[in-house]
Amino acid sequence: MSAFWYYVFTLLFFLFDYFILAMGLNIQYGETGILNFAYIGFVAIGAYVTGAVSMPDSAGTGQHYILGLNIPFPINLIIGGLTASALALIVALISLRRLRTDYLAMVLISLSLVLYDICNNFVPLFNGADGLYNVPEPMAGVLKLTTNSFVPFFAGVAGVVALIMWFLMSRITRSPLGRTFRAIRDDAGVASALGKGVFRYQLTSMLIGSFYAGVGGGLIIQFGGSFNPSAWLPGETFVIFAVIIVGGVGNNIGMIAGSLLVETLLVHLPAFLPSIPSHPGLIEYVDAMVIGILLMVMLWFRPQGMIPERIRRSPISASTPLSSVTAVAARAGAEPLSTVEEGGAS
Amino acid sequence: MTDQESRGSSDEMILTCEGLTKAFLGVKAVNGATFEVPKGKITALIGPNGAGKTTVVNILSGAMTSDSGTTHIGSTDVTNWPSYKIARLGLMRTFQLSRELGDLTVLENLLVAPKHQPGESLVNIFLRPSLVKRVECENVERALGILQTYGLYDLRDNRARELSGGQKKLLEISRGVMASPTLLLLDEPMAGVNPALIERIGGYILDLKAQGVTVLMIEHNLNVVEKICDHVIVLAEGKTLATGRLSDLRANPEVVTAYLGEVINASTHS
Ligand SMILES: Nc1ncnc2c1ncn2[C@@H]1O[C@H](COP(=O)(O)OP(=O)(O)O)[C@@H](O)[C@H]1O
Ligand SMILES: [Mg+2]
Repeated sequence: MSAFWYYVFTLLFFLFDYFILAMGLNIQYGETGILNFAYIGFVAIGAYVTGAVSMPDSAGTGQHYILGLNIPFPINLIIGGLTASALALIVALISLRRLRTDYLAMVLISLSLVLYDICNNFVPLFNGADGLYNVPEPMAGVLKLTTNSFVPFFAGVAGVVALIMWFLMSRITRSPLGRTFRAIRDDAGVASALGKGVFRYQLTSMLIGSFYAGVGGGLIIQFGGSFNPSAWLPGETFVIFAVIIVGGVGNNIGMIAGSLLVETLLVHLPAFLPSIPSHPGLIEYVDAMVIGILLMVMLWFRPQGMIPERIRRSPISASTPLSSVTAVAARAGAEPLSTVEEGGAS
Repeated sequence: MTDQESRGSSDEMILTCEGLTKAFLGVKAVNGATFEVPKGKITALIGPNGAGKTTVVNILSGAMTSDSGTTHIGSTDVTNWPSYKIARLGLMRTFQLSRELGDLTVLENLLVAPKHQPGESLVNIFLRPSLVKRVECENVERALGILQTYGLYDLRDNRARELSGGQKKLLEISRGVMASPTLLLLDEPMAGVNPALIERIGGYILDLKAQGVTVLMIEHNLNVVEKICDHVIVLAEGKTLATGRLSDLRANPEVVTAYLGEVINASTHS
């Protein structure tokens, strides 16, 4: 396989993976209004756990890590996602119940730094600063994949996983649960006055989003075969925020648009450009500036993002004839039929 | 005597509060408010600006905790319960400054309100989709009926934040109604609203009473109070000054000095 196609499939993989990550952050921030500034920490936990459970016992590998259970794909991935959710449960029980979202945001930033320091320095957990490597390539043995064919294969797997997760997420965001999330985002006090137990819903949203973070992380470690602290500097959370803000907060389709523009075209594509010999590293700096400028331009001129949140129109159509509407209105003590404007059933 | 008469001695009290106090940075906004709200009636809560009326409503609805005092809904002690639990007992409230769910549509604002929707559970969404859909359809139909009644039907697909001030007041009331309340607390539902709409809102409130809903409303317009309210509570400096029928209160010199005089003067000036 030529280097060109290798790059293309790598970019595709990151497109799909960041689509998943963006959907997870979107349900937390975009739908429910939780500023999860520790998001990358949940991605990392998902990655480490997915990797560690699929690896053999650490004795004799030259690495130090917990678990090591030889669990195959995709069960390891699901375990990674659930572990991220479990971490979210603990964090939410400690901090979400008592804190307003702005204070929660600060707590989460600190959490992100603490998690980072633990993983980076506590070697027995996930091999410290070296991180995990030689993570088995999922199904490579069964399908007799070579190093070359694994990349397009796993980009496809990520695409399928992203598709399934998009399907599940759109079921959630379209449901009354999604609507209650958005009510809490718009005004938690009103939601509470309407009988919604805000904490319970925020917790649910945290768990769902963290599962997506964990799965996205799990795919990353399996794609590259390794994962270490340099891959998830706490600032990486803001790249995912950039993805969802540029794409369009509150819109799942916007997530893939943001993922394409920010993650694929701005973060990963430049990494494949030949570096400028006199100024190594220049491209990276310019890149970070471009993302920052893009974010500011978007927030200034199009804060709703490329593909803004949809207006969810009322489902009345042929299936809900106006007559039934007026019948209900009459029962509720409304004025007689004559006041009903035509064209109501749009 | 007036008090008992105005309620009728057989009245059942749906909401009672005793000795409520609340201080903000040492300033006592509510200072011993004590009153009862008769079931099935429209009760007005009146008093000068800053008397603590909104704060009382915030305490009764659970949006704020009181420093001392007790609140009962029926026979249930709900003192310092969180607002969502109080709401589930059937108490709905509106806000003096409208608080619409701005990015949701008008229809969605109503659809949030029903309690215990099966579609709010993750398990039901994936395992009982037909139940979720059925209840959702029923709710949509009922919400559209309410929007029809309140004259918001044509605005159903607009984002709530695009509504005018008067429309937002209507939206708040209809959202409360959508939750099938037994008790509705309205914080100045007619403030800043044109006379025709005041008339309409008054009609809606009477309709709600006819449907068995108890209403407690903060209101400055004494013509409205005269017309639709059965019972009046006067609050001044955080205390209950008097309760009874408006006609009786007009004869109460304390009430006239504290509030009514001020209003009468204000209305002759404007
Ligand atoms: N959240 C708050 N923080 C500080 N002071 C408040 C707050 N809410 C109300 N107050 C003060 O409490 C007093 C009563 O206010 P309020 O209950 O709004 O009166 P009313 O609704 O009768 O006009 C006022 O002096 C007001 O400034
Ligand atoms: Mg007030």
